[in-house]
Amino acid sequence: MNNIEKAELIVVGGGPAGLSAALAAADYGVNVILVEEREFLGGQLVKQTHRFFGSEKEYAGTRGIDISKFLVEKIKENENIKILTSSRVLGIYNDKIVTILANNKMIKYSPKALILATGASEKFLAFENNDLPGVFGAGAVQTLMNLYGVLPSKKILMVGSGNIGLIVSYQLLQAGVKVACIIEAAPRIGGYSVHASKLARMGVPILTSHTIKKAVGKDKVEGAIICQLDSSWREIKDTEQFIKCDAICLSVGLSPLTDLLKQANVKTSYVPELGGYIPLRDENMETSIKNLFVAGDVSGIEEATSAIIEGQIAGLNVAKRIKKDIDNQVKIEKKIAEAKDELELLRAGPVGEKVRNGLKKIGLDPLKNYGEKVSTEEFDISFLMKTGIPSKENLKKKLPLSEDVFNKGPIAISECFQQFPCDPCVKSCPFDAISENGSINNIPYVNFEKCTGCGICVSKCPGLAMFVVQKNYTDSTSLVTLPYEFLPKPVKNQIVLVLNREGTEICEGTVKRVRDGKIQDKTTVVTIEIPKEYFLEARNIKVDGGQKHG
Amino acid sequence: MDENKVIICRCEDVTLAEIRNLIKQGFTTVEEIKRLVRSGMGPCQGKTCGLLIAREIAEITNTSIEKIEIQNMRPPYGGVTFEEVIAGDTIEE
Amino acid sequence: MKNRASVVVIGGGVVGNSIAYNLAKRGVEDVVLVERSFLASGATGRCGAGVRQQWGTRQNCLLARESMKVFENFKDTLNVNVDIELKQKGYLLLAYSNNELEQFKKNIKVQNSLGIPSKLVTPQEAKYIVPDLNTDKLIGGAFCPTDGHANPFKVTYGYSKAAENLGVEINKFTEVNEIKTEKGKIIGVQTNKGFIETSKVVDAAGGWSQQIAKMVNAELPVYSERHEILVTEPIKPVLDPMLMSFSYNIYCQQTPDGSFIMGYGPDNEPPSFDMHSSWQFLETMSKKAVWLLPPLNKLRIIRQWAGLYNMSPDKQPIVSKIKEVENFYVACGFSGHGFMIAPAIGVLMADIITESDLTYNVVLDIERYKRGEIISEPSVV
Repeated sequence: MNNIEKAELIVVGGGPAGLSAALAAADYGVNVILVEEREFLGGQLVKQTHRFFGSEKEYAGTRGIDISKFLVEKIKENENIKILTSSRVLGIYNDKIVTILANNKMIKYSPKALILATGASEKFLAFENNDLPGVFGAGAVQTLMNLYGVLPSKKILMVGSGNIGLIVSYQLLQAGVKVACIIEAAPRIGGYSVHASKLARMGVPILTSHTIKKAVGKDKVEGAIICQLDSSWREIKDTEQFIKCDAICLSVGLSPLTDLLKQANVKTSYVPELGGYIPLRDENMETSIKNLFVAGDVSGIEEATSAIIEGQIAGLNVAKRIKKDIDNQVKIEKKIAEAKDELELLRAGPVGEKVRNGLKKIGLDPLKNYGEKVSTEEFDISFLMKTGIPSKENLKKKLPLSEDVFNKGPIAISECFQQFPCDPCVKSCPFDAISENGSINNIPYVNFEKCTGCGICVSKCPGLAMFVVQKNYTDSTSLVTLPYEFLPKPVKNQIVLVLNREGTEICEGTVKRVRDGKIQDKTTVVTIEIPKEYFLEARNIKVDGGQKHG
Repeated sequence: MDENKVIICRCEDVTLAEIRNLIKQGFTTVEEIKRLVRSGMGPCQGKTCGLLIAREIAEITNTSIEKIEIQNMRPPYGGVTFEEVIAGDTIEE
Repeated sequence: MKNRASVVVIGGGVVGNSIAYNLAKRGVEDVVLVERSFLASGATGRCGAGVRQQWGTRQNCLLARESMKVFENFKDTLNVNVDIELKQKGYLLLAYSNNELEQFKKNIKVQNSLGIPSKLVTPQEAKYIVPDLNTDKLIGGAFCPTDGHANPFKVTYGYSKAAENLGVEINKFTEVNEIKTEKGKIIGVQTNKGFIETSKVVDAAGGWSQQIAKMVNAELPVYSERHEILVTEPIKPVLDPMLMSFSYNIYCQQTPDGSFIMGYGPDNEPPSFDMHSSWQFLETMSKKAVWLLPPLNKLRIIRQWAGLYNMSPDKQPIVSKIKEVENFYVACGFSGHGFMIAPAIGVLMADIITESDLTYNVVLDIERYKRGEIISEPSVV
């Protein structure tokens, strides 16, 4: 009963927040025990096959799974970190003893500090027959598909258009599953517009102000009945429609996994902007209980990038408390300030508003330094956020002012209309031709004078929103270069069907060039020759023998 | 909507009809409902149903959801077998 | 909430609700019950859910038997449609010494004289009743087939429903801040939701009954003590009776939903209002349980919690008026077995308040300590 092991820091959760917290503390010599329930580290990152947004400094433009590999590698190299995978924290008791189930034993630890980075769990939805086999959470779908290589179904209805709903829909298409449609109860798409546009180009309808009424089927899902909602979220009569599908995927948000926090009697508060009941904490990520820190989704639902930075802040604060020599103190203090600044910048744009409002509710000031710089959306993107399709006005603002520009040769077109923190296009351009006007939260613009149409940016943009057009390839044809992430890959001289931004087939095209090297990193860059009249319309292709989308 | 076919607690198979019935009878806390129909007492300990029940209470009692407490969380998180507890206690130092 | 009551019952556990119901049943009008949290949120809802009649003293046997009659006919007796999940698969008490076995024999004599169908069993018979039982060192036991389990929430809920049907007003989430007196007489109860004018107050506040009594400057000879408990994942029925041992110090049963619920009496637990769980309990409990029922080994514990025993000097309830203040009544000191005798306690308290003869021939008044009439109950965990 008295065999209690001493520890400096226990980090609970091996996702992005936990990994970065462990690293940040261990870098200053803190002995860390990193506890992860699964048999591997990386958390949700390992299921993320898409490139991340955000700042290049925090791995933007890198696929989630690769970020995970990189962080895990660093963790494994670090001698100060003891990794306990397939292990679970069972209890945080009143006497500060933490019990951990590891190797089939309940082991007791007495840590100096604790960082909980337990992440989130998926919200569930109440509708008729919601227990019918074939009703999945998006996390389960991703796990089946991306971890175990198992297809969940043949045709799916996606409920929810947040980033997860959009990303999983896209991954389903990549895996060969049809997406009947994406429905969203809110009048506006919840995720980033670029994710929605990728799906719109595949012909997947996105229905805002729609909800699921019931799952239909005898022993398993055979379809669903959906209906339209009015502005006060009530069902509009006679708008029911039947959607044929063999699975329903729920992606209706996450809520912080606060079980351990509640066990420890940490003060919590209901903040809908941050996903529900969240722990109260200060800007150093410390909760109402001294030496108990949080980081990542458990402290409020956000993106993986902010989770990584929050982990750093928490880890550095623990280091500061444990490693007391002056030299370290100064260095750590500086690093904490940098991390806080970076986090603030990440939240400073229009898409960060929800999180900022949530943080204000728990007494934090999310915009100490950027208060004045926050802008509202530069464009009217209401149509885009309803459909995933940019309006003519949106497009016009990103095209050259003069038609003459098209005559000079190939140029890049950025179809990015929403302000969110992201900069890989800017950072990737070898000619310095893309600029965000000083802030990562601004919309990038192509300087057509400088742009050579090289197409590097086409595979770098995490939102697949960069294209290159060459209007006058021949007298009657143009070239369009676009990103393509499906199998089979097109080959040179192949005839492909060409689609517009709505996923409608508009013409045929001939593949002129396929770039699929290390730089492209699985985002194939395809150049097609098409009739000239479509050079501003052609934004996707359908390769024979490949995906039958829509 | 047939409330009997809407499952709120998947672990213990509790329907929306049962939940709403209790709320209307005056059981307006997640803890009371849990004790009467076992919602949240299963393996997941209320991770899926807790928020749904809180929302139902808020709606029916016309209270803001901020004021509704979710259920207590108690150790051991995720469960532990007797032999695992005993094995940990008999480790030699 | 009513602003006037004939009696205010403080405490929404099973005892308070039983008292409120029995008062109303006697025709007492305007009974108001106040509960700080929700019903059964204290010890009632945290207990081991056992109901047994195998006691050592005549009066405890009587109270338990009379209560069991209510549990057996709950719906008809209270006229409410509440299923209390009564499972009468017995209590098997285990003896590990001759002294213990001798005591069981004496107890059974008393029990049988009151019609309680308990009997002595050999280790072989015990093994037959509980095939998974480790009979090491076991020299015998006592078994009463009509003992068993009832759901404490449902019983409390049933009483409150029945009480409401008879006109009792039940106020949850209503905390008593002050009991106002004038010249030694109660004039009302101040709650966080308003003032209730009344001349009679019943203190049925369980673990906090001594706090309530302090409001009228009365010292009750009771204190509260943390007791811990755990529950496992549900499995198919394998354990019929509640298993209990006084010397080995354990109780363990499988509830109708399939989960095992168990606890033991802590050593050296200081008086407190602490209701935190401890890892120490988890460890000790696990060892005890697996020794007694080896197949439990692989079973998963899913929840642990704690509640307060309200301990009296003789570990027997105090159901009484008090000298210090007129019309202040206490039902406290249940020492861990309030749930199973609550039906009879309600009847007794109604007798006391309505100044009727006691329905049961028992001595539970608070003055017994001064008289030196300590009840010596040998069968408690």
